[in-house]
Formats: sequence, structure tokens, C-alpha cells
Amino acid sequence: MKLQLVGCSHHTSAIEVRERLAFSSDEVCTALDRIRNRYPDSEAVLLSTCNRVELYTAGESSDLIPSSDEAVRFLAEFHGLQPDTIHADLFRMSDEEVLRHLFRVSASLDSMVVGEPQILSQVKQAYQHATAQDSTGPITHSIFQAAVTVARRVANETTINQRRVSIPSLAVADFAKQIFEQFDDKHILLIGAGEMAEETLLFLKDEGATNVTVINRNPQRATELATKWGGRARPWEDLAPALVEADLVISTTGAGEPVVTLDLYKREIEPDRNQQSLFVLDLAVPRDVEPAVGDRLGVYLYSIDDLRAACERNRLARDAEMPAAIKIVDEETDRFMAELRHRATGPIIQRLRSGWTKPKEEELERLFNKLPDLDDRSREEVRRSFDRMINKLLHPPLESLRDEARQGSPQGLLDALKRLFQLRD
Amino acid sequence: MNVTVVCFAASYVVSLALEVSRVFFRSKVRGVVMVGFTVAGLIAHTWFLSDRAIHSAGSPQLSVSPLSSPFDWLLLAAWILAITYLYFAYYYRKEAIGIFILPVVLSLIGAAQFASREPFAPQPASRVWGQIHGIFLVLGTVSLLVGFVSGTMYLIHARRLKHKLPPMRGFRLLNLERLDAINHRSIVLSCIFMALGVISGVVLNLILSHRELSQIPWNDPVVYSSGLLLIWVVSATLFNALYKPARHGRKVAYLTIASFVFLAITLAALVLAETQHGGRNSENSDNTGASLVSPSLVAHRPDGRGGR
Repeated sequence: MKLQLVGCSHHTSAIEVRERLAFSSDEVCTALDRIRNRYPDSEAVLLSTCNRVELYTAGESSDLIPSSDEAVRFLAEFHGLQPDTIHADLFRMSDEEVLRHLFRVSASLDSMVVGEPQILSQVKQAYQHATAQDSTGPITHSIFQAAVTVARRVANETTINQRRVSIPSLAVADFAKQIFEQFDDKHILLIGAGEMAEETLLFLKDEGATNVTVINRNPQRATELATKWGGRARPWEDLAPALVEADLVISTTGAGEPVVTLDLYKREIEPDRNQQSLFVLDLAVPRDVEPAVGDRLGVYLYSIDDLRAACERNRLARDAEMPAAIKIVDEETDRFMAELRHRATGPIIQRLRSGWTKPKEEELERLFNKLPDLDDRSREEVRRSFDRMINKLLHPPLESLRDEARQGSPQGLLDALKRLFQLRD
Repeated sequence: MNVTVVCFAASYVVSLALEVSRVFFRSKVRGVVMVGFTVAGLIAHTWFLSDRAIHSAGSPQLSVSPLSSPFDWLLLAAWILAITYLYFAYYYRKEAIGIFILPVVLSLIGAAQFASREPFAPQPASRVWGQIHGIFLVLGTVSLLVGFVSGTMYLIHARRLKHKLPPMRGFRLLNLERLDAINHRSIVLSCIFMALGVISGVVLNLILSHRELSQIPWNDPVVYSSGLLLIWVVSATLFNALYKPARHGRKVAYLTIASFVFLAITLAALVLAETQHGGRNSENSDNTGASLVSPSLVAHRPDGRGGR
């Protein structure tokens, strides 16, 4: 059995290279079709995300799958590039290394943001695409299904994917969701138009947020953003009434001084809010919201520094969990490889058994001829006794073979068995 | 089968210990074991209460309402709260709700050990009103206790969020919005249940008085502390309904906690005070054959002791 991987990731290549090698969903299907046409006995799965492009190929032997150079050439040709220009950016792996890598990727241990949950669904999607294109086979089925199991084990047995380390995801998952039950009935107010505000809004949209209001000093920019997010724009003068209505505020203006002062809050906002919870993400530097506003009843104010500190705590906690996650990946890789190697011994075991069956049958026939008075029941007992003896005789070599497969490739022992018992291919 | 209070109390203690252990380490089987112990405790608890209900109903000399003593009443409230815990443990597996509810369940079971096992109102004439009175007061008590638990959780959670602390491993709480909703509902429901419970109690006492059966004195500690509790929960509900800022957040949580203080006073009166409302004094009066049981009923008992 041969397993091979050629690809690039955020660890090995710059974003420009990854962009050039990236595949859209349609391109993935086309590429898999081409591989199948060129290598009909090869299995292939193509994983393409913003952080990695990886081509997994597998087959019964190495001559049935593209060599690593051929795989590099294929990727280059598909994107109209010279192989030499991407050669240095691509990594190559084979067999156990591929398996370990796939398990790490699926468990989100190889991601740019370790523990982010999207990668598992991207791996599943890549496998489903390949299956739909008829590019998968017994090897890719088993390794991708095992990868999903490993990812689940890591998620269940460690907290690695619960430790968010990006500010927008942490703001929503660790704080906003601790305050609000649901987001579809909440008023979300966007003050300013920073990039991080948009990212946070993306997470909120995923949680069901629909009611978005955008306020910006530049009305045109506010309208553009409101259109983009399906919300409504309000003029800057409406800041106080918009804050009265809001449940969740994301502020990212470039103002040099706070736009929401304690005085403004106490005078124009607080009296009309009736102490309803107000979650404020102040992602601006310098701050948009005066820190004292956070001391008011019902106000939960988080500045970028607060969120960074929480991210850092999570990063440290996540790093502490890393060895446990890697241990799971290693255990699962070893187990999978041992099973695979043991499965590879199947044909030899089969031949060994059938090699002993013929003399058994001959001996039984001779015995039954000599003892014609034996009834059916006695004959059956004798037959069973012969079977038991063969099983007992075969047990020690098969057990040794299993032990050898657990340690590594049992090829030496297989060769010895072939010679000892004269097993021919 | 001989089921004792220790059987189910021990099961709840194990569940509580497992809940607390969430803070210290992760386990794949803990959730199942926790729910298993709670279910086992609930089965024993149900068995125990059923047994007491059957025996009290089967008393030939005295047709008392089942589970009508302060002892049964507290155990019944604990039983409903344990079911509430089971609901949360099943639907909110990641949240450490048991750390808050189970101590209340165990406290009720503990308080029951000091409470009288004598029926509140053993006269057949008052059976229906007695049952209405008991059921609504138990439901009101449970509502107040759920409110207390969610109010406490709200204040702890709000404080953590104010201090910008992310969720702690093994100590996740329900979000503020849900806790707020539970607080609000518990105030309204406890007001309705308590009002119905106290009003039915008044009607019950008036019927007893009208039929010249022994009634509970209006100045009995349990009666006036219950009245005080009712006045408080009605005021809290009105405050909650009429004053908008008290409909959300900390104020509702404070109201639920204050309501619990009033409830604790009433329960203390029931368990500890010299009362003729199923408390200590009623046991004393039982020994003399006076007060709660009418002379005619006492006369029907073969031992002449009031048939309890």
C-alpha cells in the first residue's frame, strides 16, 4: 500500500503561493477527474483552504499513483505555472507521515489558529467531493474516516478547540454568548468601520444576528457597510438613540477621543435603557468608549486589551493542552498503521492456512478409509480435532506476525514464513 | 423494600460531588454517572414519598391527606427540585447548575429531619382545601428556590463578566439572558402559587372555625411568616411589573434572593418555632390530644392519641 501527499500550507509557503495554487470547488472536481483519467488505479483527495492546498494520493503500490514529482507537475500545470516556480514551496510526505499529518490537520493542530473548528468540516468536504467524483477507494475511505474520529477524540478529550485565540471569535463565543441566549432578536450597532468589526460581525451572523445598524461619520461608508451586511445606516447624530436601542455594540472608529463618554451615557442613554444588558466591544485604539461606562449597571464593556489578555490566557491554556492532543494523534496513527500492516499480512495468512488444509483433507480421507465403521458424528469429531490442531500449530507464528506488525513492517517475518512454508505468490 | 432518607440523600451527595469535580478535571463518563446517581436518588425518593403517602391514606381511623406533614412537605419540595435539576443536567450538560441546585435539595432534606411528621390539618372536612393549600405552597416554595438558585447564578456570572473573565473550565453557567428569564418567571409564578396557597389556607381555617373544629391561631408563627412572605412576593411582583429597570438584570436577581430570605424565615418558623401548624408545638399538643385534632377524632382512636 502506498500513501503520498504533496502540498503547501501556511507553514511552508507565502500567501501569494497559496493563492496561486488554491482550487475552487469546481476546480477541485476538474482536477480530480484529470487525476483519475491519468492514473485510473490511484485514489485521490484534494484539500484546498485559504491556509493549505494538499493533494493526497493512494494506491496498492507506488507504480499505480503519481510520483511526488508528477504530483508537483500536475499542480503546476493545472494552474498554468512552471513546476520550478513552486517546487521549493511544496512539501512531500509518504505513508505513515501522511497519516500523522492528516490526523493533525483534521484535529486542527496544524491550523494557523490552532483549535479552530472549520478545518474539520473542510476536510470532510474535501473527502465528500472526492467520493462524489469517484476518486476515493478503500485506502482514502479508511484514512479520512479515521481522521474524523481522531479529530473528535481530540475535541472530546482536550479543551484545545474551546480555547479561542482570535479576538472576534473570543468576543462572540466567550463573552457575547455568555450574556445573550440568541442573537436573531438583538440590535447590533456598528460604530465605525474597522476590519475587526466586520470579522466580529461575521461571527455574529453565524450565530443568527440579523438586525444590524451602522453608524459612521462618513454616511456613504455607513451605507456601503449597511448594504453589505443587510442592515441599515443611521447618521452620526443618531448615536445616542441608536445606543439606547442596541443590545450589542462594536465600536472601531479612528477617533482620537472617546465617542461614548460617561456623561453622554448617563445623560442620554442610561435613563431610557432601563438597565437592559448592553454588551460593548470597544475594538478601537485609542478607545471609543470611556472605561467608566463599563461600571454602569447592565453594561459589559470589553476593550481590545481586555480581549487580547483573554486571548493570551487561552493561548497559554491551549499550549498546555497541546502535548495531550499530539499524544492522541500519535496513538491513533500507531494504531492505524499497526492495523494496516496486519491487514497486509492477510494474503500470507490465507495462503498458510490453505497450504495446511490440503494435507489435512488427505490425511482425513486416508483415516476414514481405514476406519469405515465410524459414524457421522465420530467423523465430525475427528475433523474438528484436526482443525483445532491446525489452529494451535498456526497460533504462535500468527501471533508473532501480529506482534511484528505492531512494532513496524513485518516484511522480514513474512519473507521467513514464505521460505519456511514454501508459500508462492 | 426499606428505603430511608439516607438512601436518596446519599445519591444526591454523590451527584453533587461529581458536579464539583467538574472544576478540577475532565471526564467522559462523569455526566452519565451523575445523571445515573440522580435518577437512582429520585427513584428512592419517589419510593419513600409513595410509601408515606400510601400509609397515611390507608390509616383507617384518620383519613388524613397524603404527604401533609411539614416533613413530607419539605421532602416533596426537594423531590420537585431534584427533578428540575435532572432536567437541567440533561439539557444543559456543560453548565454547572447542580453545584447550585443540589445543595438546596440537600438542605431541604436536612431541614425535613428537624420538621414534624404530624399532618397540618387532619380533619376530613378540610381535606380538599388542605390539599390545595399544601400543593400551592410547595409549588410556590419550589419557584422561590429555583429563583434563588438562578438569581445567585446571575450575580456570580454578571460579576465574572464585569471582571472580563472568560468561562471557567467545569464552571460554565447559563447565559445572563436565560437566567434573567428564569428569575422573572420564578417571581411571577411564586407570587401566584403563594397567593393561592395562603388564600386556600385562610379558607381552610375559616371552614374549620365555622364547623367549630380546632383551627390554627391567626397569630401562629407559621401563619404570620407565610403572610409576610406573601406580602413580600406580591410587592416584588408589583415592583417587577411596574418599575421597568426591575424587569432585567441584577434587580430581579436581588428580588429573588430577598424572596428566599423571607422563605427561609417561614421555613425556620415551620421547623423550629413553637407552632400549631405541624411544627414542634403540634407534636406536643398531639401528646395531650389537643389543638389540631378535634376531640371527636381523638375519641375515635383506639389509643386515644389522635391517630398519627
